[in-house]
Amino acid sequence: MQLNNGLDIVAEVNPTAASMAAGFFVRTGSRDETSDVSGVSHFLEHMVFKGTHRRSALDVNRTFDELGANYNAFTNEENTVYFAAVLPEFQAPLVDLLCDIMRPALRKEDFDVEKGVILDEIALYKDQPKFRVYDGLMSAHFQGHPLGNRILGSTESIEALRQEGMQAYFDRRYSPDNITVAGVGNLDFDAFAAQIADLCSSWTPSRTGREHFESHPPRATSVITDRKVSREHIGIMSKAPSCQDDARYAAQILAAIVGDTTGSRLYYALVDPAIADEASMTYSPFDREGVFLTFISSDADRAVEATRIAASEFQTFAESGPTDTELEAAKNKIATGATAKGEQPMGRLTAVGFEWVYMKQYVPLSDDIERLLQVTAEEVVEVARRYDLSARTVLGLGPLESLS
Amino acid sequence: MTLLGQKMPNVSSAAMAIAVPAGAAYDPDDASGAAYVTTEWAFRGAGERDTRALNDALDALGCQRHESVRSRHVLFSSVQLGRNLHDVLRIYADIVRRPGLDDTTFEPARALVLQDLMSLEDEPARKCNLLLYEKFYPFPLGRCIYGTVESLKSMTPTTIREHAAASFSPDGTILAVAGNFEWEQFRDVAAELFGDWSSGSPHPANTRPAQNGVTHVEKESAQTHIALAHPSVPPCDDHYYSARMAEAVLSCGMSGRLFTEVREKRGLAYHVSCCYHSLKDHAGFFTYAGTRPDLAQKTFDVTVLELRRLEEGIEDHELDRARTQLKSALVMQGESTAARSESMISDWYHLRRLRGLKEISEAIDGVSRTDVLEYLRDYPAKDFVVLTLGPQALDTSIISE
Repeated sequence: MQLNNGLDIVAEVNPTAASMAAGFFVRTGSRDETSDVSGVSHFLEHMVFKGTHRRSALDVNRTFDELGANYNAFTNEENTVYFAAVLPEFQAPLVDLLCDIMRPALRKEDFDVEKGVILDEIALYKDQPKFRVYDGLMSAHFQGHPLGNRILGSTESIEALRQEGMQAYFDRRYSPDNITVAGVGNLDFDAFAAQIADLCSSWTPSRTGREHFESHPPRATSVITDRKVSREHIGIMSKAPSCQDDARYAAQILAAIVGDTTGSRLYYALVDPAIADEASMTYSPFDREGVFLTFISSDADRAVEATRIAASEFQTFAESGPTDTELEAAKNKIATGATAKGEQPMGRLTAVGFEWVYMKQYVPLSDDIERLLQVTAEEVVEVARRYDLSARTVLGLGPLESLS
Repeated sequence: MTLLGQKMPNVSSAAMAIAVPAGAAYDPDDASGAAYVTTEWAFRGAGERDTRALNDALDALGCQRHESVRSRHVLFSSVQLGRNLHDVLRIYADIVRRPGLDDTTFEPARALVLQDLMSLEDEPARKCNLLLYEKFYPFPLGRCIYGTVESLKSMTPTTIREHAAASFSPDGTILAVAGNFEWEQFRDVAAELFGDWSSGSPHPANTRPAQNGVTHVEKESAQTHIALAHPSVPPCDDHYYSARMAEAVLSCGMSGRLFTEVREKRGLAYHVSCCYHSLKDHAGFFTYAGTRPDLAQKTFDVTVLELRRLEEGIEDHELDRARTQLKSALVMQGESTAARSESMISDWYHLRRLRGLKEISEAIDGVSRTDVLEYLRDYPAKDFVVLTLGPQALDTSIISE
């Protein structure tokens, strides 16, 4: 259902669950930022926990904990999500708290303290080569496209950010017509919807949106030489179907066949013979964009060989497609993962929420799995050909000076 | 070998976990890393299947599998739809009882573990915590599972085969399953697959005292990583639930004392937490904070003072909150088939019995403030083992004040 101000409410009720989970999905992330506020979406996610006009920061944390909630939040390129799971008896106070924190006070003194925490988080990721590769690869692949914006911003952009800039961003992006509330598990839907209507109907919409234009990846290979890093970490990115594309099911299967952590093409070509200790491909769909991301970690002296082998595996796959055995195994693995995750309200919440954010539809897990099982080998090959796996952006990070 | 099972309504998955008493504590002294190499090697062909056939068979059944090497056990875990459980178990019986351990597949197995050891250099927070376990627990109970470059390089297929033959043994093995399955049928299949498994003779792990003290590992990292541990009680101890309540007051959720004082009030660190961790007879509170080098000294001092301040008193609202958190977490973890299978293994290993939800819930309710304070008097925040990793060593004199 939708409130008059555009706030969407979606729920999947399961009376046999032992808990209920709820989340606010704000359709905003680093791709919606201008360079003068780089990192503001993520910083704002922290500030949402720093209190409202009726709660201090400590009140917010304490209330979540008094409800025994399992709660957190994350920010990515396109979404900022706040979520929590509690025992069903705590549904009403949880909804009250979540609705309240979505209108944060953004107090200057909290902003200043939290800035230190954000700067520390940036330092934390600097010690994680895999994250640096992802960050650098997104920037390179999406050159000139807002999906290349860095989620955390930079030390400089965060230091320069002012509370007023964050407030303006909040007023524009945390508009009710840009937010979906999702509930999953053992919840009373009528009470859920009525309480949200009561607490959120006064929010004024800003009619914000998102600009779309196509990315034009440069297909370049680059290297960040850092001798403090012990191994060579390599990322390979190429275009893939978007969140809205029906080919997303085939794309998910393609990534599992080519690059799952067990039994995939890359596993047998690189990990099994110990050329690399990690070689995996994932499929990340975005709003009208998408990428296949392959990540390899190897000894520096085998990194060029590993990258070449991965490229040859991509080519072989595009030429001959999957075997029947591979297709079945990939489907079964994905179905097991989705089933086990779906058995916990917290695990199911993001699937239900994002299906609504991107597709404005509710799909039961069984239908989703059914669609996955129907994917044919031809559909998978079609994705491999339409989204040329050889048209890729490559980034190496580690001791090497070149990847060629 | 012990078989445990818990049927869960309204789920389709069945999670299986097999704990084999072949953990890193049993690694031969001149072959540390043996447990990990054995585990890696065991998936390279077993029974009638070669590497590829084995992995493809598990994949075809849709297994979401995971292996972890722990102190006393190697844990093989796999989640699948209930209808595939028996077929998966048949394959695992091969892996555990009839691993190929063929000379030709040894080299890549060892090489992968060596690479994992090297990868630790790029994961300073994890390295810091692994080194702390090694120093805190009586050696070799907390031994680093990856071994050393020297131990890995000097290993031979024969050493590892002998080690596997001795330690992959039914005596001490626990098999647990939770979710959508029928107990009688599962029991019969397990009996058929493991009933005639004869015992090996595991090496006894002779322990020597922990090293303790303060260690600094110099590294040009962006953060200074601070890890410290002090003793607690193992799960079989009467004070166990008091210890878990104390841990919750310190570090459960975002209103815990450490998070509030270190991050929320002072903005010193993004991550600060204290986690209870135990082996069978030893346990500790493991505290970790990662912060920018210029704030590391202050972070360390504030953290130590907060750990100590707990003994001075705990508020009623803190205890109430801790109780609700522990009980809610228990129910929510219980919705996951994987979590349930692993908690059965943990219960059986530590207590030789399974605890029901009701028992744990009542035990949590039964802990009073006096109980927690008594526990803290017996196990105060002192005798710290400290490990820091970063550009500069810290002044740790506060821990001996």
